[in-house]
This record gives sequence, structure tokens and C-alpha cells, in this order.
Amino acid sequence: MTHTLNRRGLDNGRPGEEICVLSMIHYQDRNEETAEAMRELARTIIAYGPNNIMGSSVGATPEQIIESAAASGVITAVFTDKDTVGRLVREIKTKDPGISVVLSGLFSDIHDICEYAGLTEHTSNYAVGISGNAALLPDHITLEIATQCGHGLVSRHYIQHVACRIAEGKMTAREGAELLSKPCVCGIVNKKRTEEILLKMAELTSFTEGHEINYAVRQKRKFS
Amino acid sequence: MYIDQDLCERCMDCIPVCPVGAIGIEETKCARHFSFRVVIDYETCVECGVCRRLKKCPQKAIKQVEDIPYPRILRAAFSDPTFRHASTAVLGRGTEEMKTNDVKNEFTRDNVGFSVEVGRPGVGAYFRDLQKVTMKVVALGGDFASYNPVVALMDKSTGALQEEVLDEKVLSAIAEFVVPRDKALKVLADLVAFINAELESVATISVIARNEVDGGHAFLRKLKVHGKVHGYVPYPNGKVNLGIAALKGGKP
Repeated sequence: MTHTLNRRGLDNGRPGEEICVLSMIHYQDRNEETAEAMRELARTIIAYGPNNIMGSSVGATPEQIIESAAASGVITAVFTDKDTVGRLVREIKTKDPGISVVLSGLFSDIHDICEYAGLTEHTSNYAVGISGNAALLPDHITLEIATQCGHGLVSRHYIQHVACRIAEGKMTAREGAELLSKPCVCGIVNKKRTEEILLKMAELTSFTEGHEINYAVRQKRKFS
Repeated sequence: MYIDQDLCERCMDCIPVCPVGAIGIEETKCARHFSFRVVIDYETCVECGVCRRLKKCPQKAIKQVEDIPYPRILRAAFSDPTFRHASTAVLGRGTEEMKTNDVKNEFTRDNVGFSVEVGRPGVGAYFRDLQKVTMKVVALGGDFASYNPVVALMDKSTGALQEEVLDEKVLSAIAEFVVPRDKALKVLADLVAFINAELESVATISVIARNEVDGGHAFLRKLKVHGKVHGYVPYPNGKVNLGIAALKGGKP
């Protein structure tokens, strides 16, 4: 989740649309005591019903997610409701796990959550955009989905391929969002927002006609 | 990563899933007819493992060699987030940056941290591009974070990376450093201009600052003003460490 801060498309005009939660044990503090604290923290996060969570892309059960969090020292999830995250953070604070918790989203949302939970922001990470050879980047709508995976594992071609399949009526936007959430091993692709973006993409003729969108399908037509 | 041609049925479902577009068609011509095969371009592939993890291939034709040799193994280390970095024992890009700052207090109110991730988002980059950044960081007087896997490949006094790694391509790699707070805005302006002028690939730049005692974002306000002059706009979203680890046992 190093780069959830670089997510594109979040807007102060749509508060509470997306908040990522991450907890990590500092590498020098990894021991049985902190592993148990992480188990409890993972249980708490799961209980609040995230939109997506680490391990879900490979079909992990809640117990497997909890054990994986304890073993790796990290857990990540994404929520689509600010009030829920507020209650979650307040409960985490009460339990005093002694491990770091990070939120990623609109600073105004995070501030509201901190106020609700009786916390003050400790350290912040600000994104100042993408520099360098911008000609290599895909269009801005594709980036709104691609940047949801901080490790860059959601391929621009796959996003455009899925959008085209939706435009052709061969899958729903919800199914498409589910597919695109799979490459992200941290489980932080916001499936609800992705579904909405895919619907927009499918409606745009620029994505369904003559675009690089359906690379594989075009190749298939060429060779079959 | 490679495709076992004896198993591949050329359904091409794997082609779009590759983040760097390394999977493609190779045309083959026989005397009488035209044919093709699906291949992974060895040079373009960053060994992120997405094609195999997604299990798109019903024939299990996408395979990995038993031991990826050095320095190519660095592609996997910096591109596959399930890979735990040997030098830091951290998954992902191998660094904790501000995520645990309420424990380690590396970022204080006297300094500002920078994280320059070369190759992101979804473009990929060669280490030679990263080296341009690390050498620039030295010129700017930055102090590299020691707990980052890039440092293990680098001469910290010059920013030069090991010669043998320069032609390895990764999805992204992060240069992390701190500077005194009073120099941070000048460093940022120089970095943005340098990266725009010199990088073959792209990079995301992010800035880490301790919040004020009341949780306020004083440095973000400075960035907003500074960005108007230097051609960048800070995002309305970002990442915030809530300081919960520092609460344990009543620690300040």
C-alpha cells in the first residue's frame, strides 16, 4: 500500500467514497506478542465488512486472512463508507494494539475520522503527481483503475479489455470489477468505484472503437 | 516467465493481463501457411508473476524457471509484491516508509521525507533510470533511508548503482531520502524539473511530513502554494499514519 496516495480520481466533492486501512508491524517489533495483536486487529477489520481485503483475491477465508496478517506483519483493506471506518478506528484505538495504523483517502475524510476517534494525524504522505515521460501513460480514466493497485499489477490492457467486454454485453460491470480486483494481492482495489468507472468507460466510444482496448480480441480476429 | 509451447493452445486470454505488455504474438511462417505462437518477451517481462497467479491459462502453459539467475532475480524482487526482500525482510517494494513512523520516528518536524518511485504507475523502468534519480539525490544533499532494498544495490556516497543491475527492468523501485525541512521545497522543485527532463520512464514523487501537534497539515499548505509556481498540484488524497502505535502504554 506504499502508493495508495497516488490514486487518481478521488474528489472532495465525493467524500467518503474510499478509505484504505493498513496496519503494519515495524520489522524490529515482530514477535509473538505483536503477531497476536495483529490477529486481533485483522479480526476487527474483517468484522467491519470491508469492500475488499488482502487475501480475498485468492479466495482466502477469514481465518486464513487473520493468520496471513500475523505471519506477514501487515494487513490491508478498503472501505467505501467513512462512518464505518470511524467506528473501526475508534475500536482499534480502544484496544490499543501497539502497532501502526495508516488510512489512505481524502485528507478531509481522514481528519473527520480522527476527530470522531479522538486521534490527531501523526505523519502524512502527500502525492505531487506523476513526472517524467508522460507519453508512456494510459488515458486518465484507465489510470483511475490502474492506480488503485499501488504495485502496478492491474494492467492497462486488461482494464481496457474488460471495459470492451462490458460494452459488448459479454459481462457486467460488477463482474468486470471483480476480475480487475484479482491481480492486486493487497486486496485494496475498490470494487464499487471500479464498477462505476467501467460503466463510464464502456459508454465511451473512444474506448470501444479503434482504441487499443481490446488488444487480445483484435489479435484473435486477425489470426482466426 | 515463459510459455511452454507444447502446452499453449493459443487462446490468447493471457495477453491483456500483463502489466507491461510483455505477452504477445510471434508470427511464424511455414512454406504453405501462416501461423503464430504466444510468447513472453524475455526483455520486457519484469517477472511480476501476474500472468501465472491469475491462472488465466487452462493448460498451465505459463511457467517460471526453477531458479531465476542474478541479477534478473531483482526483477521479481522489485515487481512481485509476494516476494520478501532479502535486505529488508519487507514484502512489496521492500520499505516501510512512513507506515511505521509512529514507532521509528524517522520523519520528524525538522525534516521532510521524499519517496521517488521510478516506473510507477504501471510503466516499468530500468535501474539505469533509477540511478539518474539516486545520483541526483546525492547532488541535492539527500540522506538515503537505510531500510530500503535499493540502498543494498547502491554506493550511498555517489548514488551509483551496481553496474550489473543497470539493465534490469522492474515494475518500479523507490528512492527514499530525507532533507532538512527548510530545504525541502527547493529540493522538490529541482527533482520535478530533473525527472521531467531526464527520465526515460515516469516516476511518482511523494513527500512525507510530520503533522503539527494538533494534527494540522502545515506542509501540505506550503506544497499547494509552491506547486503553483513549479508545475505540480498536490492530490486531495494521501496517506496518514494515525499514531496509534505511539499510544501503547501511554507513550507520547
